[in-house]
Amino acid sequence: MSEPVADAVREGETATRTIPAGRPLVVLAGGLFWGWLLLRWLNDWLGGLFVPRGEPFVSPEAVEALGAAVPALRGLFDSTAFAVTYLPALSAGVWLTIVLTATSIALGFVLAVPLSVARVYGRWTSYLSLAYTELLRGTPLLAQLFVIYYGLNFVQYVPPLLDGVFANNAVWAAIVGFTLNSAAYQAEYIRSALLSVESGQLTAGRAIGLTKLQAIRYVVLPQGLRFAIPGWTNELIYLIKYSSLAAFITVPELFQRTNAIASDNFRYTAMFSLAALLYLALVISASRLMNAVEDRVAIPGLGARGR
Amino acid sequence: MSDPLLRVERVSKSYGDEQVLREISFEMDRGDVTVLIGPSGSGKSTMLRCVNRLTEVDSGEIYLDGERVTGPDVDVNELRRQVGMVFQDFNLFAHLTARGNVMLGPRQVLGLSKEEARRRADEQLALVGLADQADSYPAELSGGQKQRVGIARALAMEPKLMLFDEPTSALDPELIGEVLEVMRDLVERGMTMLVVTHEMSFARSVASEIMFLDGGRIVERGPPEQLFERPEHDRTATFLRRITQLHS
Ligand SMILES: Nc1ncnc2c1ncn2[C@@H]1O[C@H](COP(=O)(O)OP(=O)(O)O)[C@@H](O)[C@H]1O
Ligand SMILES: [Mg+2]
Repeated sequence: MSEPVADAVREGETATRTIPAGRPLVVLAGGLFWGWLLLRWLNDWLGGLFVPRGEPFVSPEAVEALGAAVPALRGLFDSTAFAVTYLPALSAGVWLTIVLTATSIALGFVLAVPLSVARVYGRWTSYLSLAYTELLRGTPLLAQLFVIYYGLNFVQYVPPLLDGVFANNAVWAAIVGFTLNSAAYQAEYIRSALLSVESGQLTAGRAIGLTKLQAIRYVVLPQGLRFAIPGWTNELIYLIKYSSLAAFITVPELFQRTNAIASDNFRYTAMFSLAALLYLALVISASRLMNAVEDRVAIPGLGARGR
Repeated sequence: MSDPLLRVERVSKSYGDEQVLREISFEMDRGDVTVLIGPSGSGKSTMLRCVNRLTEVDSGEIYLDGERVTGPDVDVNELRRQVGMVFQDFNLFAHLTARGNVMLGPRQVLGLSKEEARRRADEQLALVGLADQADSYPAELSGGQKQRVGIARALAMEPKLMLFDEPTSALDPELIGEVLEVMRDLVERGMTMLVVTHEMSFARSVASEIMFLDGGRIVERGPPEQLFERPEHDRTATFLRRITQLHS
């Protein structure tokens, strides 16, 4: 095995420290995956740090040769060689998938907090928030993306500063679409979490003279957002997978790249299995990360999961 | 300064068809300790909550230190700074340490700097005997400790009046003493206190006046000796007998 893979193993060891005690195999696999991915991106962004841009770190022919040497494991080595050939191209798609998901979940959260607060504590704003949530949850996400991208021709509004950050400006349209949609779902999760905060907490806050908004800000939200983490993790996981819909508005994320390559080499099953493995790695990583966050912000005395 | 600190005038309150408070009137001078007793559902909590306007009166007036606190133009947050409240089930902010609980009001409501708020919190925690628990979270404290933090939290706002709504009712019997002791200290420091409690020996030893509430009315009121030794109404006598038996 060549040097970069050894580096990846070292990456895996650092990752072990941030992930709470878990099955060593998952941790090792996670370390390998993220180590490989980071090196891959670095290599391709910096114009071929280790190997020429887009070229695999190890040659597929070498892997196939190994397979020839051990006939019993031939199939395994052949699949590996196939993966090695196409993973470099897919890694760029993984990058966009992560960018889409992370940006949209974060921006969606920024919208979801006021939406949920308005819903729970507002008067007429509660109806506005409800209308927004129902509209966005009640219509297909793909339709929303189409309206933004084709209907509104969103790309023409991309501000000059952001123009060209991604090779394809449709990424911005996708981020807007996912953000607006995810905000509605996140608002629902946060809303029910806010409702599960004991009413006495708000009363006690008001009783020391906090305004309603202050009491929400300093007393209810810090607790409610902790309760919202499990639901929020679900939303993150959904979004990782739903981000594949961006393919339909020409964003070259993981699904779109997989599809493009498959329609070239006609190995649909193999290509989409490979993509599925990558999605799976992202999803497992996200849920482990959120578990770690949940443990980290747990309130002492209330158990590891907050309650 | 002949004005009473608290003046409650003909306060009435209904929830739907149920009249919870019927023309309640009473006064408290500075340093007074008034104890409200009465069966469950008689309107004691409602009366307390009307004073700091967690509940709005239907009719009647309440004056604190000569200023009317009922009425639409009153700044309720300003009013609540001056009136501390201690709850039956503590209602400590679950995500904050004992110190964080006490600091929040001074910091956000009174606008003290972080250092000042922290100093004040530590002072108040020391006064209730919890200097060593400042960094503990509510879930790590015993019920008695929680309630003492609750008292410190209210006191940190330097209120003119303290409202206690059954502060020991949720406590295991062996933890009641430490809370009552803190409240006795507070009486000695001259705090004006309106207390709902069924701790009759406490009421007897510190109350300047006891009011017996039933069916939303003050059935009987007077200094502790009078209510305990020569109650005028049968209902008062029965209630006191029952409550004393229950608690001994
Ligand atoms: N927010 C409310 N809504 C409807 N009814 C209430 C509310 N608060 C109190 N009540 C009713 O008012 C009555 C008096 O309640 P409360 O003041 O809590 O009595 P106490 O504290 O003496 O037990 C009870 O019958 C209770 O059900
Ligand atoms: Mg009550």
